[in-house]
Amino acid sequence: MNTKIAIVGAGPGGLSAAARAAELGVSHVLLEAAPHLANTIFLYQKGKHVMAEPNLLPLRSPLAFTAGSREQVLQAWENGAQQLGVTHRLGAEVKAIAGERGNFSLTLTSGEIVNAECVVLAIGLQGNLRKMGVPGENLPFIQYQLDDPDEFAGETIVVVGAGDAAIENALALAAQNSVTIINRRDEFSRAKEGNLNGILRAIKDETLQCLYNSSPTQVVVTPTDGEGDGKPCELYLSTAEGEARIPCDRIIARLGATPARQFVESCGIRFPNDSPNAVPAVSAQYESNVPGLYIIGALAGYPLIKQAMNQGHEVVEFILGNPVEPADEPLLREKFKPILEGRSVDQMLDLIKTTIPLFESLTTLQLREFMLDSDILKPAPGAVIFRRNDYSDTFFSVLDGEVNIQANPDAPEQTISLHAGQFFGEMTLISGRRRNSTVLAGPDCVLIVTPRRSMLKLINSVEAVQRLIDEVFLIRAIRAQMAPDISDEDLAEVARTALIERHETGQALFHEGDVGDSLYMIRRGSVTVSRDIGGRDVVLSYLAAGNYVGEMSLLSNIPRSATVRATVATETIRLDGEPFKALMKRHPTVFMALQKTARERAASGAKAQQSEREGGDVISFLVKQGLGEATDVLLIDETLCVHCDNCEKACAETHKGTSRLDRKAGPSFASVHVPTSCRHCEHPHCMKDCPPDAIHRAPNGEVFIADNCIGCGNCERNCPYGVIRMAYVENKRRSGMLSWLLFGLGTAPGQDLSATAHHDPGAAKKAIKCDMCKDLSGGPACVRACPTGAAIRVSPEEFMVLTR
Amino acid sequence: MHQSFLIYRRARYLKLSLGLMILSLAAYIADARLEQPNGGTWLGYTLGTIGALLIFWLLWFGVRKRKYRSGSGMVSGWLSGHVYLGIALLLVATLHCAFQFGWNLHTLAYTLMVLVILSGFYGVFAYIYFPSRLMDNGGGLSDEAMLTEIAELDGECLAVADKIGDKAHQTMLRSIESTVIGGGLWQQLTATSPRRVQMEAAESKLIDLRNELEEEHTRVMRTLTSLRVQAQIQQQAQQPANPEGSDRTTLFMVDQLAATGSGDKVLAVRQLLDLLSRKKALTARLQRAVQYQALLRFWLIVHVPLSIALLAALLAHIVAVFIYW
Ligand SMILES: Cc1cc2nc3c(=O)[nH]c(=O)nc-3n(C[C@H](O)[C@H](O)[C@H](O)COP(=O)(O)OP(=O)(O)OC[C@H]3O[C@@H](n4cnc5c(N)ncnc54)[C@H](O)[C@@H]3O)c2cc1C
Ligand code: HEM
Ligand code: HEM
Ligand code: SF4
Ligand code: SF4
Ligand code: SF4
Repeated sequence: MNTKIAIVGAGPGGLSAAARAAELGVSHVLLEAAPHLANTIFLYQKGKHVMAEPNLLPLRSPLAFTAGSREQVLQAWENGAQQLGVTHRLGAEVKAIAGERGNFSLTLTSGEIVNAECVVLAIGLQGNLRKMGVPGENLPFIQYQLDDPDEFAGETIVVVGAGDAAIENALALAAQNSVTIINRRDEFSRAKEGNLNGILRAIKDETLQCLYNSSPTQVVVTPTDGEGDGKPCELYLSTAEGEARIPCDRIIARLGATPARQFVESCGIRFPNDSPNAVPAVSAQYESNVPGLYIIGALAGYPLIKQAMNQGHEVVEFILGNPVEPADEPLLREKFKPILEGRSVDQMLDLIKTTIPLFESLTTLQLREFMLDSDILKPAPGAVIFRRNDYSDTFFSVLDGEVNIQANPDAPEQTISLHAGQFFGEMTLISGRRRNSTVLAGPDCVLIVTPRRSMLKLINSVEAVQRLIDEVFLIRAIRAQMAPDISDEDLAEVARTALIERHETGQALFHEGDVGDSLYMIRRGSVTVSRDIGGRDVVLSYLAAGNYVGEMSLLSNIPRSATVRATVATETIRLDGEPFKALMKRHPTVFMALQKTARERAASGAKAQQSEREGGDVISFLVKQGLGEATDVLLIDETLCVHCDNCEKACAETHKGTSRLDRKAGPSFASVHVPTSCRHCEHPHCMKDCPPDAIHRAPNGEVFIADNCIGCGNCERNCPYGVIRMAYVENKRRSGMLSWLLFGLGTAPGQDLSATAHHDPGAAKKAIKCDMCKDLSGGPACVRACPTGAAIRVSPEEFMVLTR
Repeated sequence: MHQSFLIYRRARYLKLSLGLMILSLAAYIADARLEQPNGGTWLGYTLGTIGALLIFWLLWFGVRKRKYRSGSGMVSGWLSGHVYLGIALLLVATLHCAFQFGWNLHTLAYTLMVLVILSGFYGVFAYIYFPSRLMDNGGGLSDEAMLTEIAELDGECLAVADKIGDKAHQTMLRSIESTVIGGGLWQQLTATSPRRVQMEAAESKLIDLRNELEEEHTRVMRTLTSLRVQAQIQQQAQQPANPEGSDRTTLFMVDQLAATGSGDKVLAVRQLLDLLSRKKALTARLQRAVQYQALLRFWLIVHVPLSIALLAALLAHIVAVFIYW
């Protein structure tokens, strides 16, 4: 059988492509690994409300898609595929793709080979579930996924795996079944704290069994004459004590997924770098570096259903050589309207590419996507673009005219001008901290304003963009921190030998006593400075991004006087000692600036050493809690807290009835308690993987979730501090305080409504978290409602100083 | 870095309060030279009005505390003012009535006010004293964490008791079933819940059981020793003749010991007692936590209703004065 188009993966992207091919009567085959269409959507929680973001983007597909329940969406696709006569094969996992345009051969896991002229790869990012890899792994008693643990009762179930999914399943199943969990190692080392405690307790209480150091060797259907205890299947294991046999009703193996990337690379497709977020580059026609092999959907870096469906439609047109106006053309035209001046969208894109060197190496598709996310700004001359100490995190490229930067707050009249082709805002992007200068629009200024996520995506997918930004960052950082009036040429040697280094949490940049004279500028993350005092590492101070360390040894040539350690994943720029010393010889002002810093630090260090150790211990504790990457954290003084829970009530009252803060949870040290509440991280982990880009940072630094959240739960998983919850949010009507006070009617002010809420079944679960009451004048309600002054919100710099 | 409500903004309300008190006192002394002090004089009316306004404002605190969206300052600032101006009120009101007390409505209002203020004093003491006690007592464990740990210990106790026998199991079960932490307000305040009694009962039963078992164990051991001695004598008597004979005796001894199983049981009971004493310590800690929290809170049940009663009495006082004066 030879077809024109083979489509791999029946997600929204692949389905839409197949549907278009069927509509046009083009020979095609849609290969899907799962036993049903659209596996990713199939695996959403039952009844999940699927959203049709981005709202503005028109849908272009023969299949229907509107926001609705998971079931409705799947049904609509099922019907559509049938009506259009889509040729699909379920349970057909592709394990290899070889060949070239006109002659591809796709090998299925069954060994069968499918030939096609072109291939559309639409396998998404979910990857393939790992199987047990033993004989019998495909028997019907084995499942690699569990939707609803309550479905089973009274069974003997074996759970294979030691990760969070396996543990959560085992614990949930143990309520109604007899459960054994099989762990290949001798401990559960990969699990989250809560799950770890849960499983260990369950094992101790014997609510379930655990076999350590055991791995499955085969699964067999119980022979009719055997002693299977009436169970349909038997699992054989090799354990430390020899072979074991467990008769059971069901095996649930949760062994994680192999990322799609491995398979994709094996097809000859190149990724720009090793970053886990990297996506393969594709042409404007979605063609990869392998001619005839096309990539669409989440795999190509478009994380939403509608985007995937549009691309499915378009890719078929491209393969057939039909001209298509991309679905986003009208959106771009609208966006460019103020500057179009009779040009076409394509001409405008070309102009952008030629004007701004940063975008030179982008493919047209990347630039379109980038511009779709960005905005065009034409500020009046003198208008403020951002102010020093703002927390905005957008990135700006100058398309025309100029902007003026006030780098020195004490001398606002001194400005540096940037012109067409240059960019700014990279400092905040990299450091995650406040703006360090004020920027004003100059004459004829036209700017491209890009949200943080789109910029990060670009940096991750285009090597050249990353390099250019790093180079500019370096020069600007040296200038900003120690050498304001020095020319580029004069800095060239220092810059040439500079090195970006990455340090893991807890890793030392250098140790006390080390010999070395390089200077480290912290460009991201933060560090602690500590000394060995009486055999103990005592933390003396904390330095955030935008500072430098190592100046003492540079100035004096003596060994390092303290140990400097990264509190979180940290990036530094290492400046070699020799070229820097040469620079200081030429420019005594640089020397003086460094010397001043060194003197101040020596003085405050001595003071810190004299003060009791406790301060240092508290800092170590707070750093261990991950506060080194916080911008604003809620701390409770236990010597003042009267456990009135007014803070939680205030949070619930001001946030639709659900408190986003858990006062009792969280660790304490000395008298400082760190309740479970968002710390508004410098580089919020929660933002990492949000399909509709719903998580933002407000100008005052608050990290908040906007209404276009689709409830996917990624942020809940990604936040290492467990502060995001998925909940039904509705505007609950509260009764007035007076009627409650006088007659006890209705809900008490501050009462948490989440437990009592009756939500209507169509409502969508969304992510909720602390937004630091950004819409309330007067600041965070929790702090303002605390009667004793026990609750405060502070930045790390503040508490590092104040614990002394 | 934290600031207690008592020193909110460098104790600005303390200063305000002291100012008000000095001013009132000075005015009172100055006025007393000119006329007989009384609630009905010009100064009396002024002080009375100030006092009444203070009371309304102090009452409003209960409302402000629940207006979570309010932008009007920090609640800790409000409490700071509440406390210090509440104290000033005591002097202002006393000067207003010029120490003229009697069995009448006016003095009723005054008395209620004093009670509210006194309970407030206790409240401030509690807010200063108990948080640190609670913190030390908790040692980083929240109430919930202690409860789960107690529940876990209960589970372990039952499992171990199972090994000993029915009697031990029943005892433990009863002790666990009668678990009450906290209880009524009085029990919370005094940390005397029936649970403690039950646990002690269980413990003493266990000690009895242990003694019984230990006696049994000693008896067995004594038999064993005498057996061993006999075996040795036998062994010496038939020296080279029959070496297996002594082996046979040793085997017999081991069988004996295994049959009674008393050694295991003694161990298990010891373990149980261990668990129980850990549980007792933890329960005592939890109970103390509950007690401290009750002590932190109960006074509000006096403070608030009395302040409402005060409001009624005050209104009546004012009405009465305007009608009958
Ligand atoms: C919990 C959750 C909620 C979400 N909610 C929304 C939402 O409300 N709205 C929204 O717009 N987006 C949502 N998304 C994102 C959305 O699911 C993805 O953007 C979309 O599914 C991507 O489509 P795709 O076609 O690129 O890939 P997928 O939908 O991932 O489809 C890939 C298909 O390929 C198959 N496959 C994989 N490997 C092979 C192989 N080797 N051989 C054959 N077949 C293979 C898979 O089984 C799968 O069926 C959500 C995501 C998650 C995880
Ligand atoms: C608007 C506020 C007030 C007004 C107008 C007012 C008025 C008066 C007057 C006119 C008297 C004199 C009555 C007499 O001599 O018999 C008086 C007495 C008194 N007032 Fe007030 N008063 C006010 C507030 C208060 C407050 C806040 C308190 C304390 C809770 C208080 C407690 C007393 C007492 C105890 C007396 C003495 C009664 C007596 O003489 O036996 N008053 N008041
Ligand atoms: C007549 C005078 C007073 C009145 C009418 C009054 C009234 C009130 C009211 C209505 C509340 C709110 C309680 C709640 O809703 O939870 C309150 C709380 C309180 N009052 Fe008073 N009060 C008075 C005097 C005082 C004084 C003199 C003190 C201290 C010396 C004091 C200390 C407190 C404290 C500590 C609280 C608790 C605050 C909290 O936990 O939020 N009060 N009072
Ligand atoms: S939700 Fe979590 S990851 Fe996101 S900012 Fe808050 S603490 Fe950081
Ligand atoms: S659940 Fe979190 S990650 Fe997912 S869309 Fe909502 S905010 Fe974004
Ligand atoms: S409001 Fe203040 S005193 Fe009350 S529980 Fe919260 S932190 Fe503790």
